[in-house]
Amino acid sequence: MLEILVYGAVTSAVYALLAMGFTLVFGVARVLNLAHGSFYALGAYGAYFFGSRLGLSPWAAALLSVATVSAFGVAVERVFVRPLRRTPLAVLMITLGVSLLVEQLLFIGFGSEARNVTAFVRETVPLGSVQIGGQRLLTLCASVVLLAALWVFMQRTRMGTAILAVSQDAEAAQFVGIDSNRIFAVVMALSAALAATAGVLVSPFLTVQPTMGLLPMIKAFSIVILGGLGSIPGSLVAALVLGYSETLVAYLGSAAYTEMVSLVAILAVLVLRPSGLFGARAAV
Amino acid sequence: MTRDRLRWSVPGAALLLLALAPLWLRGYWLSVLILCCLWAVLATSWDFMSGQTGRENFGHGMFVGTGAYAAAFLNLNASVPPWACILLAGACAMAVALVIGLPTLRLQGPYFALATLAAAAILQRLTIIFWEQTGGEEGLAGLTPLVGSPVAFYYVALACLLCTAAVLVGLAASPWGILLRAIRGDELACEASGISTTRHKMLALLTSAFFAGTGGALYAFFQLQAGPYLFGVATSLSVIIMSYVGGIGSVYGAIFGAFVLTVMGEGLRRFGEYRLLFHSLVLIVILFFLPGGLVAPLWRRLRGAEAAP
Repeated sequence: MLEILVYGAVTSAVYALLAMGFTLVFGVARVLNLAHGSFYALGAYGAYFFGSRLGLSPWAAALLSVATVSAFGVAVERVFVRPLRRTPLAVLMITLGVSLLVEQLLFIGFGSEARNVTAFVRETVPLGSVQIGGQRLLTLCASVVLLAALWVFMQRTRMGTAILAVSQDAEAAQFVGIDSNRIFAVVMALSAALAATAGVLVSPFLTVQPTMGLLPMIKAFSIVILGGLGSIPGSLVAALVLGYSETLVAYLGSAAYTEMVSLVAILAVLVLRPSGLFGARAAV
Repeated sequence: MTRDRLRWSVPGAALLLLALAPLWLRGYWLSVLILCCLWAVLATSWDFMSGQTGRENFGHGMFVGTGAYAAAFLNLNASVPPWACILLAGACAMAVALVIGLPTLRLQGPYFALATLAAAAILQRLTIIFWEQTGGEEGLAGLTPLVGSPVAFYYVALACLLCTAAVLVGLAASPWGILLRAIRGDELACEASGISTTRHKMLALLTSAFFAGTGGALYAFFQLQAGPYLFGVATSLSVIIMSYVGGIGSVYGAIFGAFVLTVMGEGLRRFGEYRLLFHSLVLIVILFFLPGGLVAPLWRRLRGAEAAP
């Protein structure tokens, strides 16, 4: 029972990190970024490359990896997304193209076999009758701290307020002197950093493979649909709902069915409540 | 009258050339041509739904994969004859289209695109998860060959392409095609004039899925195998890129796009892994420099120039 509680919380926390970046970019730029999953994969590979190949300490590798991916996110925004922002479908195509490009480059650079990344925390923590991996607990704690920091950043700083302003009304924000292009670059950097952090944190206990980015991106999308497009509290609740329902399905039924949960969630929400749990705008 | 001369002579000449191709093409290049025909079926079927109604389906692979797996299942487990398999595969793809389309077709463009992408990706995962039935990564192999020789298969593929193109170009030119393009132009206005847009989009998706399913089944009979990669993002994206190269919404353009990209892709085959890189680069160039595509604008200019004097 306690096990389900902890494992569900870890899964939810990772999903929340992913979904938060996805929904931020959507809220600010009205863009669905299909390259989001590749930030996650690049984060994990960064931890592998800097940590296992170059032999840096896990913490240095993690920081370097997140910083690199964040810069990559800004580059993707500047080079590919910004010129095409007026046509949402072209943005979808180009970001999907970027994610395939990254996947192929990872294949060519690292091969298709799964890579191992050394854990930050090797100890296991006894919790009641079960042993929980320290890395999982670290993932949970780090995610909660980061999400809290994000909340403080959005609510308490000038930059955060400017981001909220652009997401509410980009044109009006321009009138009061907010450079929306700069805000978009900042949001892309944040979103890529959050996804990369998720990738770094899970890399010791999940398989690190070139194709690892696609499903998490789809999970992030289903969370955003479930929580309501552009709603940050909605995304948080939806991440918990999806994380726990997947964990429950894995325990009660079989791990094979977990992938179905997000698809069923998307389809059910679209039929029953298209605006999501907390959404103001419907996707319909 | 002059306008009609080009309209029939160019496709006629192309068809004649393709029909005579086995005279001087053998072995490897014949199989490339077969692949061209099969991809052309997939690309036109995508363009019919997504080009006409403007709802870009990012998960066309789910129909292709469903068609291939349905054909393989029926052939291997129920020993249904290959020809019947192909038609039944089209029907199975339509069933998938119904289940996925009903909730998602009400979505606006980008959300529909992502929802179909998600559906295709999850179907692909399912083929890996239920490996006992689907053969996992290896897929299902050992299908009964459809016809005896590669040349005969080539003519089957060409005939399939001809049927698909004739039906879809005909439908696009019909009043129904106009209605579908009206949905692309202004969905609200269509609803206001009493047209059930969701129903028509659903019918267009079903049509598209049927041809994609038969195309996928033919692909399975060509490779004598159905693999999970058919559901993959790479399949869906390739189809979209082919239509983009041809010019979205023209239906016939997608055929040319499929031929051009397949032949170029085969030229890069010995570079293996770099093929998808190349496709992504083509996509980037087209999106930035030729948003209208390559084939359709040229064709329109050619016909316009001829009709003018």
